[in-house]
Amino acid sequence: MRIGIVCPYSFDVPGGVQNHVMDLAEALIALGHEVSVLAPADEDSPLPAYVVSAGRAVPLPYNGSVARIAFGPVSTARVRRWITNGDFDVLHVHEPLTLSLSLLAVLSARGPVVATFHTAMTRSRVLAAAQGVLQIVLERITARIAVSALARKVQVEHMDGGAVEIPNGVAVAKFADAEPLPGWPGECTPGTGGTLGFLGRFTEARKGFPVLRDAFVELAATRPELRLLVAGPGDRDDLYDRFPAALRERVTFLGLVSEQDKARMLRSVHLYVAPNTGGESFGMILTEALAAGTTVVASDLDAFRRVLDGGRAGRLFPTGDPAGLRDALADLLDDPAGRAELSACGDQVVANFDWPVVARRVLEVYAAAIEATDGRVIDQEWVGLG
Amino acid sequence: MPHMWWVVAASLVVGLVAAYLIWTAGRVERLQGRAELAARALDAHLLRRAAAAAVLAERRFGVELYAAARIALDAPPDEREAAENDLTRQLRGVQLDPADPDCGAVIAASRRLALSRQVHTDLVRDARSARSRPLVRLLRMGRGREWPRYFDIDDPTLTVPADVPAN
Repeated sequence: MRIGIVCPYSFDVPGGVQNHVMDLAEALIALGHEVSVLAPADEDSPLPAYVVSAGRAVPLPYNGSVARIAFGPVSTARVRRWITNGDFDVLHVHEPLTLSLSLLAVLSARGPVVATFHTAMTRSRVLAAAQGVLQIVLERITARIAVSALARKVQVEHMDGGAVEIPNGVAVAKFADAEPLPGWPGECTPGTGGTLGFLGRFTEARKGFPVLRDAFVELAATRPELRLLVAGPGDRDDLYDRFPAALRERVTFLGLVSEQDKARMLRSVHLYVAPNTGGESFGMILTEALAAGTTVVASDLDAFRRVLDGGRAGRLFPTGDPAGLRDALADLLDDPAGRAELSACGDQVVANFDWPVVARRVLEVYAAAIEATDGRVIDQEWVGLG
Repeated sequence: MPHMWWVVAASLVVGLVAAYLIWTAGRVERLQGRAELAARALDAHLLRRAAAAAVLAERRFGVELYAAARIALDAPPDEREAAENDLTRQLRGVQLDPADPDCGAVIAASRRLALSRQVHTDLVRDARSARSRPLVRLLRMGRGREWPRYFDIDDPTLTVPADVPAN
């Protein structure tokens, strides 16, 4: 099958949607399909062979984060040319309701269009905009995928349509086989040691870093050798300024990490902490930590509870509560058997998120969209299923 | 010549209205056509599932499942939804082993049917909402075609999707 995928956000900055698109494209290629990905990117940035650049992206604040997108007449022309040259059997756009390449592609496309909705925007400006305009975009979409139950709920309740729920995949082997960073995670015995991990923009409120900081500062006072490994975009001094001087040597900042280093970082900690306070629709990082075999401690958000199987595959603590987090951390650091039990359950959970499994389900949606566009029913063999 | 402006303004308005009407007519036509194609695909998937169930019934589960599959295959349009629901119930009542190829075929056909039904429902909704717009009704756009109908059946998915944790 010839598949065209549109990613609204620039590959120059790592992010959930970008990683999803890359992993999906690679899984589909591995299943024997031809894939072309259109995404904004700087002229000189190195891109995988299957990515076509749609030009530079501009930063724009969106849904509490900063998104880098491309929009305008030049982008429109590039999208049109890419669609014409691609001769795709199916077009798969991500986040089509943001002002982005995806929206342009939907409006320029004829034929089967599959759309994946990542965020659970319950109150976005897009939804508040005239229903008629929204309807014109949605009408061009043949089949919709939601990556989480929450994103699907938004589809059903606010956009008057159904969506197939297919979760984010995770390249399990990539994480399970990663080598820990040299010297990590170190010792963890009852009462001392242990390493906590955090990945994300520590300056962004909804990532909940202050909750982890407070819990760490309190716990470190009574627990010698406790260390914190932080990765993500941000300024080193800004991070260290958030900690008392005496604790700074126990905090290590990796900065922005590559995908490979992310896997290694997740293998380098005893507990991965996700203190997010909201705005997460799926919790990709949790499945990645589970794939790496690391025990997860996460705030009790709907999305996290689902991924962690209601707390069987990872420990949940009350959202935004540093004391609750501190207790959960202290408890698990002293309990290697409890950590192993959670990880074993995590392995089972994460097998369902492995990319080849997820990609096959996406292919079935492609088939359904193509069938609804020309009425013929596609053979399993042609789609490459089963 | 001030009255020239009237001519220009009037033709501009007429042009815009005409463009809007042509666009709307095209939109109604497109949505209507798509809903019809989705209905054809849905029909094909219903037949596939019933055929797969009949094959399985002949080998393993016997008369009741076979009868439900036959009834689903032969049902007249107005009884079809009930017959398909019946087949879904029968299939849920038997223990399907995913490792068995005949069972696997039924499970896969049910999954594809669920997708096809989802897409059909969405496209019918789009087509109906376009056709029930006042202007579209007034000008009787799309009158040559049948009013798109929902196909209202229970979710035919058989196994719990693997990603939904069992509680």
